[in-house]
Amino acid sequence: MKPIRTRTARAIAVAIVAGSLALTGCSSDNGGGNKGKDESKSQKDAAEQQDPVAYGDAAASTGPAKEVTGAKSGGFINVYMQSDLTHMDPGQIYVSDAGQFSNLIHRGLTNFQEDKDGNLTVVGDIATDSGQSSEGGKVWTYKLKDGVKDEDGNEITSADVRHTIERLYSKVIFDGPTFVQSWLSGNDYRKALPDGPYKGKHLPDSVLETPDDKTVVFKFNQPRPDLPQALAMAGYSIVPEKQDTKEKYDKAPKALGPYKIAEYKPGKSMKLVKNDQWDPKTDAVRHQYVDGFNFTNTVSQASQTKRLISDQGEAKNAIQFTDSVDPAQMSDVVSNPETKKRTIQGYQPYVWQLTFNLDRVKDKKVRDAITYAIPNQSMVQADGGRYGGEVAGGLLAPTLPGFDGTYDPFGKLKKPNGDPEKAKALLKEAGVKEGTKLTYAYSNTPRGQAQQVIIKDALEKIGFDVQAKEIDRASFYEQVGKLDNPYDIYMTGWGQDWPSPSTVITPVYDGELVADGASNYSHINDKQVNDLIKKALTQEPEEAAKTWEQAHHRIVEEINPAAPVYYSKQIQLYGSNIGGARYSNESSYINITDLYLKQP
Amino acid sequence: MLQFLIRRLTGAVVIMFLVGAFTFFLFYTVPQDFAALSCGKNCSPENLAVIRENLGLDKPITTQFWEFITGIVAGRDFPQGHCSAPCLGVSFDSGEFVWDSIIDRFPLTLSLTVGGLVIFLILGLGSGLLAAWKRGTATDKIVSGASIVLSSFQIYLLGPIVLGLLVYSTGIMEFPKYHNFTDNPGTWALGMLIPWVVMATIFTAQYTRMSRSTMIEQLQEEHVRTARAKGMKQRYVFFRYAWRGSLIPIVTILGMDLSSLLSGAVVTEFTFDLAGIGRLAVDSSLTKDLPVTMGVMLFGAFFILLLNILVDLVYAYIDPRVRLS
Repeated sequence: MKPIRTRTARAIAVAIVAGSLALTGCSSDNGGGNKGKDESKSQKDAAEQQDPVAYGDAAASTGPAKEVTGAKSGGFINVYMQSDLTHMDPGQIYVSDAGQFSNLIHRGLTNFQEDKDGNLTVVGDIATDSGQSSEGGKVWTYKLKDGVKDEDGNEITSADVRHTIERLYSKVIFDGPTFVQSWLSGNDYRKALPDGPYKGKHLPDSVLETPDDKTVVFKFNQPRPDLPQALAMAGYSIVPEKQDTKEKYDKAPKALGPYKIAEYKPGKSMKLVKNDQWDPKTDAVRHQYVDGFNFTNTVSQASQTKRLISDQGEAKNAIQFTDSVDPAQMSDVVSNPETKKRTIQGYQPYVWQLTFNLDRVKDKKVRDAITYAIPNQSMVQADGGRYGGEVAGGLLAPTLPGFDGTYDPFGKLKKPNGDPEKAKALLKEAGVKEGTKLTYAYSNTPRGQAQQVIIKDALEKIGFDVQAKEIDRASFYEQVGKLDNPYDIYMTGWGQDWPSPSTVITPVYDGELVADGASNYSHINDKQVNDLIKKALTQEPEEAAKTWEQAHHRIVEEINPAAPVYYSKQIQLYGSNIGGARYSNESSYINITDLYLKQP
Repeated sequence: MLQFLIRRLTGAVVIMFLVGAFTFFLFYTVPQDFAALSCGKNCSPENLAVIRENLGLDKPITTQFWEFITGIVAGRDFPQGHCSAPCLGVSFDSGEFVWDSIIDRFPLTLSLTVGGLVIFLILGLGSGLLAAWKRGTATDKIVSGASIVLSSFQIYLLGPIVLGLLVYSTGIMEFPKYHNFTDNPGTWALGMLIPWVVMATIFTAQYTRMSRSTMIEQLQEEHVRTARAKGMKQRYVFFRYAWRGSLIPIVTILGMDLSSLLSGAVVTEFTFDLAGIGRLAVDSSLTKDLPVTMGVMLFGAFFILLLNILVDLVYAYIDPRVRLS
């Protein structure tokens, strides 16, 4: 769920968001300035976002979902988006906008259930529970609920689950998560079933077994305690075997969830209507209060905010789907009690960091010096102020279990604008001469440009000759993802896939995953970290939390492959006729499946 | 005339081919791995290879070009299905056939163009002629002054002002939205009214000034003076002689404006959150979606060539000297 990489469309969307954030960050604190009390989310609020995820039993997995107080049925919600969904085929879905959409039409074996306080529980979605593990977590068994059908009325069976997993091995799928496939068949999992299930071959029963129509058994070569959470990702939602149209499925998927696609105009709009084959008794998470959703995929962030502030006409029934309030209009929103009460706020799972290319910046003292020198608070200001982010002490977001708000090895919370004196002393110790060149790559967005000025200024003050190199935003991650890239430092962002450090530390800091195009942008390859990752991946969540913490401390304090800069925050606006709106800790956006219209 | 048409059409086909070939090699030979742009999180060399294969980027550049050209003439097969001629390839980003995307966006662009055209031609030419007719009077000064003021406006400035007044503050109108003309012409017109008016305001000013100045020039021409001297009615001379003569520069500019608008009214579309050809062009260039960028370029080139030919034909109709030459 990394925000800035993934597909280009997402990159653009974020870049545009970021751009406008930067524009205002330069001029003032757009978290409302002095006009309103600071009610942006603090780390105290983050506490509820970082509780460990519980695994629910059959009772918790049985529908219908708990009614939303005061909910009414009927009407259509207007959904504003800046650009089209990156994908609609579940196997290809990895990013937030498509994940949010997925919860409306797709269903998986498991799903996240969130109570009104934001506590998360993994429950069975089409499965009767979150999964039964055996053999020390190496084997996971799922039983399917009765009465789960696709939009054409076909009952979902274990063959459909098998098909869903096996098609991820084929060339049809290239953009979704790879956790489960890799766990089942190794990192080169495609070789195990090159054509997926499309030419009649299947994974052996020793890997994936479907002994009857209602049972699915996953068999791994090591414990996989996170499987229920991994299976709750949109990328593992069910694609019924009979309905699979391979590449074409990405534009016309079949629904299992409460809504189905009635009309889709790529790049422009989409209409979702009720799926009459969805049975609320089989679903412990979703509701079907409104008659449908009208998506408009061309509404800029500024226009979304303007329309929702005005609250005129169709905007009364509208929501921001995955975009934030336009920072340029942030003070209009937060300083007006009427509009402010129509916002939802929370931490996003993303942490922005100044990544060091360890092949080029080899001296840890130099890395530490740069880390001390960075004025984190100014970087936040360039990204929307206190409603857009918060100074980071470490590399794990406040949304992760085990997050420690006091963890601050570089003293960033005490000195949010950096400590140039300490930085200079470290550089002196390292023997770095005044005027040493340092190449900083940045994405050519307004925010990237604003932050480039801040970084260049801060590092030149401690004696570096900073060579700022702009990279166009569409190819930024491609360029810094190359192993032999010519840059010393670059800003990167990353977020969890589910509330576990495994989905952050593993992909970004595991030395065994250093490769061209991979997300280990610093090229860190530390045996101790690698071993801790291996160990944590096989442990139960509570035990693993300690190991992840060890790994995190080792990474930040002993290696320092990336300077923590800031945690990202979210604030969204909705129309006055929208009911049931709250921040979803699971999606980091508005809780899409609980919404209703106050006056349908 | 037939020879003229054949010659121009043949030339147009050659130019289209050259534009296509030039842009193709310009775009596809840049040192960039376009597969990486479509490669998501956990991008692995295996995934990159799959994407390259899916997009056809694993083939030699000459093969890719040949497939591109044959696709335009005879269609192509993609994993998504058969792409009928004229096939402009498949989007790297959305997986849509480029031609389908363009055709899907075109009705909005056409609506924007036609609606705006009707307004700005009527108002622009009408007020320009009025100013020329009433040259030196208060009417002329008011019209000329207004056109100068309006021409200094920009769509991205005027658009939000109009939206603020009619949509955000008062709710008198809904935010502009495109509806199919065939579904309900009334809803279609109402949804496009604000963009038409805003766009037309800018163009009107331009056409007012141009028609006024060309008319004044024409009114000073010898043949016009002769007609007047012969005792012809002023109104007859104005429209029969001067107006006709002033049309050539207006038609020239109109042809350029039309080809530009039909290739996408970028600022208008972004100001009013509309999804036409202009937005498609900008989005594709931002995401480096080369097949779409190329497709939109070729589509735009087609209109430029088509309208050039049409303008030449209109010249011949307006001015007998052109016909004779």
